[in-house]
Amino acid sequence: MAIRHRSKLLSEPPAVATGDIAFNLIVFFLVCASTQPDSGRQQVLPRSEQNAQVEAERENLEVKLTRSAVIVNGEITNPDQFDVQIGNRLKGKAQPEDRIVIVKSEKDVPYLRWIDFTSRIEDLGGIITLQLEEEREVVVP
Amino acid sequence: MKIARRPLKSEIPSMAMGDIAFNLLIFFVILAKSQDDSHLEWAPASARNLQTSGQSIVSVLVDKDNRLHLNGKEIGVSDLSGRIERLLGSRPMGERTVLLKIHKETLAQRFEPVIEAISQAGGELVHVVEEQNR
Repeated sequence: MAIRHRSKLLSEPPAVATGDIAFNLIVFFLVCASTQPDSGRQQVLPRSEQNAQVEAERENLEVKLTRSAVIVNGEITNPDQFDVQIGNRLKGKAQPEDRIVIVKSEKDVPYLRWIDFTSRIEDLGGIITLQLEEEREVVVP
Repeated sequence: MKIARRPLKSEIPSMAMGDIAFNLLIFFVILAKSQDDSHLEWAPASARNLQTSGQSIVSVLVDKDNRLHLNGKEIGVSDLSGRIERLLGSRPMGERTVLLKIHKETLAQRFEPVIEAISQAGGELVHVVEEQNR
């Protein structure tokens, strides 16, 4: 009489390793989440040496930002009408040099406000150029 | 009668090799993140029509205390342009992305010279902001 001595082979993954597997998965997804690229707005700014030249040669659209107002070519503009005004002034201008918009900001303008208006200008096809106030030291004799 | 002791095996279990390799891989991925500025406190501004910024080796951040950081280390604005130029080297356009993270309440007198310095260094500026809800 043949006696069957075959034992059953374990065919399941060991349950002891479940904790390790879960931990490794958590670490993996954490690393994936932290290396995800940020989302943002690309902004092409001409180098500052070129700005003065461009400004001297052409009459560009000028936007001045203050903490409470926005001034387009010297006229105070309602922020709700800003897109329409800029859109109308850029209409029909195909050349990139004609689409330059000089942005001047007062010192106390927060970034939140600045990025809002500059992104609106870019969405309307304008090319942003910054005009910064120069600080000069004058030696008084 | 003496019963002989069975010698104990003291080998590292080869089954764990996969786990060890995996953990090492993650460790080096974290190390490779050279411009880690996750410890700095800032709140992003919001804007419309955002794109994915892609990967960049240069990250400039102005935190909520108005301090300027390049790749997570504090720096002065006068040194910024030169340092970015050195980091970017002779990389071609398209690979010169500079991520700019500015706290939303930062004033123009602080952030405009930073933007100018990045522009002077020939960096392709990407403002890191969050999507604006209309």
